[in-house]
Amino acid sequence: MERRQFLSLTLGALALAVAPASVRAEDFRKLKPTVWTAHKMEDAIKAMYGTTTTIEEGVKLTAANVAFDSGTVATAANGGAIPLDFSTKIPAKTVAVFQDANPESAVVVYSVGKYDVTDYSIKIKMGNPGTVKVIVEGQDGKLYSATQKLNVAKGGCEG
Amino acid sequence: MKVKAKLKNGIVSVKAMAKHDMVTYNQAEKKTGNRDDANFITHISATVNGETVFDISTSQFLSKNPIFKFKFQGIGAKGDKVLMTWTDRKGNTGKGKGKIK
Repeated sequence: MERRQFLSLTLGALALAVAPASVRAEDFRKLKPTVWTAHKMEDAIKAMYGTTTTIEEGVKLTAANVAFDSGTVATAANGGAIPLDFSTKIPAKTVAVFQDANPESAVVVYSVGKYDVTDYSIKIKMGNPGTVKVIVEGQDGKLYSATQKLNVAKGGCEG
Repeated sequence: MKVKAKLKNGIVSVKAMAKHDMVTYNQAEKKTGNRDDANFITHISATVNGETVFDISTSQFLSKNPIFKFKFQGIGAKGDKVLMTWTDRKGNTGKGKGKIK
């Protein structure tokens, strides 16, 4: 009987200790509300990470199916749904996407869990031509980024 | 929410679509004159066997009926279910699930 009690107690304690890690959902809208209201990309990045200094490497970004190549400008036919693919091999804590074409800058923030393969695709809206920036917060505490300029043939925020 | 999941070489690739208009503040102002009518998905997560495999905070700048692709490894076998939930600005929620193939 004593042994059983001991077992259930330790198991219970273990479950408690493990639970926060496994359901580690982080709502960055609640944690960092100013990120989402910032109008300028720099302000949003600063609100999220406290700095705007990033290392421009280690992150792969493809926008509108045009491979990333610095200096070139990708053109999206429809600003209402621009495909963005981004990935990194860097062990990451968070991945955030910003752009400077819309009234506010932040698009999404991923909280990277232990099962995540950091390889994501989303579709975004852009009202005007602008720049998309993907920032990866590495587990080493450094910020890595990739930037892509985008032309938009038809604005996506007009409805 | 539509969820498709495929296991290949130990990595599960998921493609998911949420049905949502993703109305931005400007679109809401144009339509109803009230910026507060804006409504968009603010948070999405996915779990497999009770473990979080995808967790994202989102803004109004995702496309209408946004599509998400993501991958995970180390969890999930064929036949396991990927459960996804979204929450929007007005507090509505949507759910979806897909079997790993």
